[in-house]
Amino acid sequence: MGKTLELEHVSKFYPGVVALDDVSFSIEEGQVHALMGENGAGKSTLIKVISGAIKPEMGNIVIEGKHFTSLTPGLSKEMGIGVIYQEFNLVPTMSVVENIFLGEKIGNQIMPNFGEMHRKAQEIFAEFGVAIDTDAMVSELTPGKQQLVEIAKTLTRNVKLIIMDEPSASISVADVQTLFRIIGQLRKKGVTIIYISHRMEEVFEIADAVSIMRDGKYVGTKAMREVSRKDLITMMVGRELNESYPVRPQEAGGCVLEVEHLFGNGDRDISFSLRKGEILGIAGLVGAGRTELAKVIYGAEKLDRGKIKVNGKEIKIRSPHDAIVAGIGYIPEDRKNEGAFLEFPIDWNISIMSLPRLSKGMVVAVKKIDELANQFQKMLGIKTPTIKQYVKNLSGGNQQKVVVAKTLATNSNIIIFDEPTRGIDVGAKQEIYQLMNELIKKGISIIMISSEMEELIGMSDRIIVMHEGTVQGELQKEDFSQNKILEYASGL
Amino acid sequence: MKTNKKFNTGEFLRNNMAWVLLVVCCIIFAFISPNFFSLINIINILNQNAYIIITALGISFIMMAGEVDISVGFAISLNGVIVALLMTKLGIPSFLGVIISIVLGIVIGLVNMLVAYKLKLQLFMATVGTTTIFQGLAFVMTQSKTISDLPVAFKAIGQGYIGPMPIPVLIAIILFIMVSFILNKTYIGRYVFAIGGNVEAARLAGINVFGMKIFIASIAGFMTGVGAIILSARLGSVTANMGTGLEFTIITAVLLGGVSVRGGEGKISGVVAGVLILAILSNGMQLARLDVYYQFVAKGIIMLAAIGFDVFQLNRKKKATIKVPVTEELTK
Repeated sequence: MGKTLELEHVSKFYPGVVALDDVSFSIEEGQVHALMGENGAGKSTLIKVISGAIKPEMGNIVIEGKHFTSLTPGLSKEMGIGVIYQEFNLVPTMSVVENIFLGEKIGNQIMPNFGEMHRKAQEIFAEFGVAIDTDAMVSELTPGKQQLVEIAKTLTRNVKLIIMDEPSASISVADVQTLFRIIGQLRKKGVTIIYISHRMEEVFEIADAVSIMRDGKYVGTKAMREVSRKDLITMMVGRELNESYPVRPQEAGGCVLEVEHLFGNGDRDISFSLRKGEILGIAGLVGAGRTELAKVIYGAEKLDRGKIKVNGKEIKIRSPHDAIVAGIGYIPEDRKNEGAFLEFPIDWNISIMSLPRLSKGMVVAVKKIDELANQFQKMLGIKTPTIKQYVKNLSGGNQQKVVVAKTLATNSNIIIFDEPTRGIDVGAKQEIYQLMNELIKKGISIIMISSEMEELIGMSDRIIVMHEGTVQGELQKEDFSQNKILEYASGL
Repeated sequence: MKTNKKFNTGEFLRNNMAWVLLVVCCIIFAFISPNFFSLINIINILNQNAYIIITALGISFIMMAGEVDISVGFAISLNGVIVALLMTKLGIPSFLGVIISIVLGIVIGLVNMLVAYKLKLQLFMATVGTTTIFQGLAFVMTQSKTISDLPVAFKAIGQGYIGPMPIPVLIAIILFIMVSFILNKTYIGRYVFAIGGNVEAARLAGINVFGMKIFIASIAGFMTGVGAIILSARLGSVTANMGTGLEFTIITAVLLGGVSVRGGEGKISGVVAGVLILAILSNGMQLARLDVYYQFVAKGIIMLAAIGFDVFQLNRKKKATIKVPVTEELTK
């Protein structure tokens, strides 16, 4: 059997991050090839390279013997590659048939041949054995059927390789079975499939081979029948803790925050507690409902049911303002869209959440703001010539410090850090860790949501692991291991 | 260091573009028409445009918070019509007319904001609808006729003088100081900019975004009410058409003043300069005996230029933010 796709030494760099590090591997023709790895392992970047959405800095992509240093979306299509992204690329207000032939020409230049289009679309669906009305509006279909439309879209061309990015994430269990059946049919027709998923059971059910990525590197490829789940997890994790984490004494006190049977914002029946002076890590895959949970606790999203107790007393949090008053602070993961006011100066940003305290009556006390901003600039080591500097002109790490300072300035006792070190360099990371320890020393309690295993294990006193909107497990410090976390996070 | 300085000059020009333009306009028209720089003409310009300045002060709040209101022209018409009818047909006293006009202004502002909120629309789209309703109501109520014979005491607000100063100009100055104070000195002002700059970050910062929008709508409505009083009082009569086109003059002026359509920035003094630029252009063109319809052409071009400049700034910023990481990468 030949090789449909080969990657030779492909590398892709982003500022401060190596997204793909010298990745070489190949996909056999006619296989269902699973691609696995933790969040941020480089799977999405790899797909984008293959689909032509981004250009790698180094390396070759070989498709059926032809060498390319980079692809464009058009070229990738022409070479017979189809991609089905997690977010569907359909026009919801157009019919199934219009979507399937979007951008394709059937008939002459001016008058499209709709009859022919319908016939071809129905042919594809008939072959799959699914009933979809080709005249129906896409927005009226279930996500599972929308996905089939996406697949049909790729099949109108002479497609040789279909890449599916977490295809089962947003569709129902029954639809997953249909999807698997269709994947089987496609394989019989000789179409190669790259199947990206976090779900072990699926990969074992349909894949012929699996390749693992980790930290932007290719780890290895195994035939499905020679590996076990444990092997895969070890391959996905399989690294030493190579960063050092500042040590702090362990002396957790009484409960400061209790969440009891919380429902809301897609999360179900979540209970946990946070003790004074501890860092509680929240682990989970992307989409496990961690940020959603934080936003409910912070009052930014609606709590449907359940209790939130601060220092043993139940409180009603209806808005972020209520949370801030109760001493709860939230530092968002999306720094640019939710955290920082980029077009405003540092001092303006740091003070914006604490203005009533920094004002006489309604009038802002500029002097107090300057003092506060200078104090935080020193405390957090924000590197800037002046606190009047616009935040957009700072580096990612320093922007993050400003966002942290903004919340710290409210004197919260409980602080939720959501991906506190995402997209910042190693030095700034260490500074954030140091800062967390200092906060703990002051008796502040921290919830840290993170997708970085090392960070979770290095910094947390306790970790709860979420999976699909619920708490899957809790780990004490002595039981921390990457394998355990990943098992819980995968729902095993 | 050098790049830093250059950046600041750009920023200075950008922040004060309206005043620079205003000076340029004044110089040009001083050459064209010798009457331009007479005290009478200057006071005349201020007097004629006081109601626009006042209304623009209110609209600035809305635009700084990242929204656009295009209903203000017919909101003024409707407001003027209702109050004039109450005073002439029902004979309510002038002071009550003033109060009703202001309350009505606030109510109209709140209606716009609530329609946008309830329908989950941008204020711009909501006001596309409400402005048509206001227009219709104003014409229905007047039967397309002019309402004259406003009470003398009411007309005095628009036509009277205190010393050498026309009352409208005095009111505009007082309201300008009030608005500058709110925007520049109080934390409410900072909240307005925060919402305009990044509404989600503002919400997560604990700012009551909806409450602030209600406040902003009320302030803008208050200014519209005052604007309506001054316009009706100065004209001495009211028609359903009296506010026509005002919204675009004001939006142009506010943009010229350096307030971005994306919100979050702008200086209120620039808005005053923006109104005056447009006023001087039409005054100067009148003095130069140009056909009045040329003013529409000129205003339209200026509006496009102002929006174009705003978008140009946005693109420049986007490019700048992309450039930063690239250079970082190269140095690594």
